[in-house]
Amino acid sequence: MIKLLNRPLKVFTLYALVILACSIPVYYFIAEYIWLSELDEHNRTVSGQLKESLLSQSPTDSLLEQNIAFWNKLQPVSDLKFVPTVKPDSIYTSLRKNKYIDEEEEKDRFRGLVSYVSIRDKNLQVTVESNVEETHETIIAITIITILFFILLFTGFVFLNRRISAGLWKPFYNTLDTVKAFELNKQEEVQFSQTNIIEFAELNASLEKLISKDIAVFREQKEFTENASHELQTPLAIIQSKLDLLMQSELSSEQSRLIEDTEKALGRISRINRNLLLLAKIGNNQFASTETIDLNALIEEQAGMLSDHLFTKKIILERDPEEVVEVNANRILVESMISNLLTNSIRHTASDGQIFIKLSSQSLMVINSGTTPLEKEKMFKRFSSLSSGVQGTGLGLSIVQQICRRYSWEVTYEFENGHHQFTVVF
Amino acid sequence: MKILIIEDEKALAESMATYLSAEQYFCEFAETFDDAMYKAETFHYDCILLDLMLPGGDGMKILEALKADNKEDGVIIISAKGALEDKIRGLQIGADDYLSKPFHLPELAARIHSLIRRKSFGNNNLFRQNELTIDLLAKTVTVNDAKVVLTKKEYELLLYFISNKNRVVSKTALAEHLSGDVAGILDNYDFLYAHIKNLKKKLTEAGADNYLKTIYGTGYKWQS
Repeated sequence: MIKLLNRPLKVFTLYALVILACSIPVYYFIAEYIWLSELDEHNRTVSGQLKESLLSQSPTDSLLEQNIAFWNKLQPVSDLKFVPTVKPDSIYTSLRKNKYIDEEEEKDRFRGLVSYVSIRDKNLQVTVESNVEETHETIIAITIITILFFILLFTGFVFLNRRISAGLWKPFYNTLDTVKAFELNKQEEVQFSQTNIIEFAELNASLEKLISKDIAVFREQKEFTENASHELQTPLAIIQSKLDLLMQSELSSEQSRLIEDTEKALGRISRINRNLLLLAKIGNNQFASTETIDLNALIEEQAGMLSDHLFTKKIILERDPEEVVEVNANRILVESMISNLLTNSIRHTASDGQIFIKLSSQSLMVINSGTTPLEKEKMFKRFSSLSSGVQGTGLGLSIVQQICRRYSWEVTYEFENGHHQFTVVF
Repeated sequence: MKILIIEDEKALAESMATYLSAEQYFCEFAETFDDAMYKAETFHYDCILLDLMLPGGDGMKILEALKADNKEDGVIIISAKGALEDKIRGLQIGADDYLSKPFHLPELAARIHSLIRRKSFGNNNLFRQNELTIDLLAKTVTVNDAKVVLTKKEYELLLYFISNKNRVVSKTALAEHLSGDVAGILDNYDFLYAHIKNLKKKLTEAGADNYLKTIYGTGYKWQS
């Protein structure tokens, strides 16, 4: 994943790199062309001047030969010699060692002009040479300069990109932060910051519409759950009452068994329905009133209510009620949370097992002995932990989680050294 | 004893009346708000079972009217909403008890029994059955004038049985009475069997007849 603005940056940089790389040979050929034509011109000038001087300064053949010898001695770069025939002018380039610049091991490049002149039936070949910059040196110089410009260009791109990113995209990041902070559960409409950029304003408007629609649908759905649960209570009550009446008649053992099974299933539906109703109500932000609750006392009370079940399963419950721990919350909800955690741990502890409750001002831990770890991801989901034959509602831990969410507490599960460990961090 | 059942669900109202009639309660019905208001204000009942959601009005208003008239009728709210706010408000206005749907009929009978007993202090706080006497005020049990010491739960069970005498009470109803939803969730009734066994044993050892019969597959029945 890359940032949006880095993508054009990458493309632009690559494009600049290609163009600049292509420019290297172009620059080279242009420079070389200018160089050589300039030198050829220079050579032609020198050669012309030489010929002219020779003609004017050499009235006799002996003086001409003397001048030529003298010139050849003084100017080794050029060369004058007699040849039998006159040929058209020619240009050459040669590489050889330059004895005047001895620090250089390499050969130097020379550009020469060979021309001819006839002086009194004698044909003279005039060669004039100039030193030319070597090809590779030109290329290296151009390349270095190109690279420097590329670096300049790249840093410029990065810098400009940052500036643009910070300024231009600010409204986008504002919107993003708002959307990130949005929680459907809280049922609060969102407010995006104002922007005068058309695209972002459109984005904000669409998001606002989408979110308010979501909120409405979510609210409707929650109200539906609550209403549906309400509506189910009366028919359930009717079935229960009819069963209670049916039990009063003379029954065969087969009929009794049928009634017993029916009653168990009915009990389960009623519990699930009650818990769904509770979940819906927590979700609909009911139970708003809060009070200061002494957690030790509350745990004592809840554990007392469960003492029968602890006793029958021979489970030892240990607590460390040293510290006074108080929380500010709704009593019904905290009761429900603790009762669900305790019931859950009793259910999953084998007979003769142990349950520890550790309470501190930061957290409440319910630890019970077990054999295999439970599935962390699924356990707090509604109905996910229900296996066949288990009489639970599959909603207990969802309720715990929902209550924790309400008060911004965090509930986690760990399995350590053969112990299930539920922690609520306040 | 006269009971007014304010409930718009006919099937449920009939079930309640059928179950309660075995206890020599005489039941009258009201299905609408106006009918309920008229009956509650005109006659005297030992107990009014009040559903809050009625065609034509809010049941809470009937409760308010009763209290405004200083009527002494006992009121048990029976609501499908199960909302805590309703419960608190109802009890604040002056309801005596609150039962949320769905409920076991024996639970309803026990609540009514307890309510009527509380309302008629003094003249009716002794329950007698042959050699067995229960002092409902002092919460003591005697068999042939010898005191039987019961635990809190055994005593609660005994009260539950005598308020549902001669009727079969299922073990789920009993378990829920003692420990709420937990019994069902844990699917374990061993604690109930233990309490009932102890109760039976204490009563028979003190010399009482075995009035508590086990009904195979369904539950228990207190015979008088």
